[in-house]
Amino acid sequence: MNGPHDLGGMHGMGPIPIEENEPVFHSEWEAKVFAMSFATFINYFPVDETRHASEQMPPGDYLSSSYYERWLYALELLLSKHSLVTPAEIEARITEFRNQN
Amino acid sequence: MQRLSTIKSYPLLPFSLPMPIETPNQCMTAQDARVLLSEGLGCQVESDLPAQFQVGDRVKAKVMHPRAYTRLPRYIRGKVGEVIKDHGVYVFPDTMGQRLSTKPQHVYSVRFSAQELWGIDASPKDSLYIDLFDDHLESP
Repeated sequence: MNGPHDLGGMHGMGPIPIEENEPVFHSEWEAKVFAMSFATFINYFPVDETRHASEQMPPGDYLSSSYYERWLYALELLLSKHSLVTPAEIEARITEFRNQN
Repeated sequence: MQRLSTIKSYPLLPFSLPMPIETPNQCMTAQDARVLLSEGLGCQVESDLPAQFQVGDRVKAKVMHPRAYTRLPRYIRGKVGEVIKDHGVYVFPDTMGQRLSTKPQHVYSVRFSAQELWGIDASPKDSLYIDLFDDHLESP
């Protein structure tokens, strides 16, 4: 797939930011996405299927997303595609959390 | 966190899923996770499958633009390099990514000169080593 992930040779992407003492996670939600994805991916999906899933993010979103936002996209896509969870269930849960806050 | 994408439709072409989802229904313990994270999952296959190419062979990365998954980067397609090392036999990511089959095959470290990839303005001293599978390569 000639997707936005295949960046080799592209110009104009700007410098790669190098953080000193870079933390493993930049905020708590990233750790949660990692934990959910890791446990799910290991149980259900080969690593290449998870990579392919994140590459299917619309190019504009892909390029402007952070690493763990792409993981979350891949997780939702694979869970939905394989009918383990429906998009409606994901939306219902988001609404539930939103109403709690 | 800004919620970027709610998935409402799938951009993929329809495809079959011969590799069924297995549901172990076992919780991963913290210790399991630690081991998996530190050791990873092996993708190497014990196999006496013959190699299509030998160390020292000149090989060309195929020109192909599959709409599904591939680990063959665009910027080396059609470029000629040299096989530097045979890593052995591994499951094939391009088919695994689509849940099609493991299709084990040899993986090689292939050296491409920077000038082959980027033209005359690139340094004549630089090279790029890329791991490629039998199915990515052909004889030039």
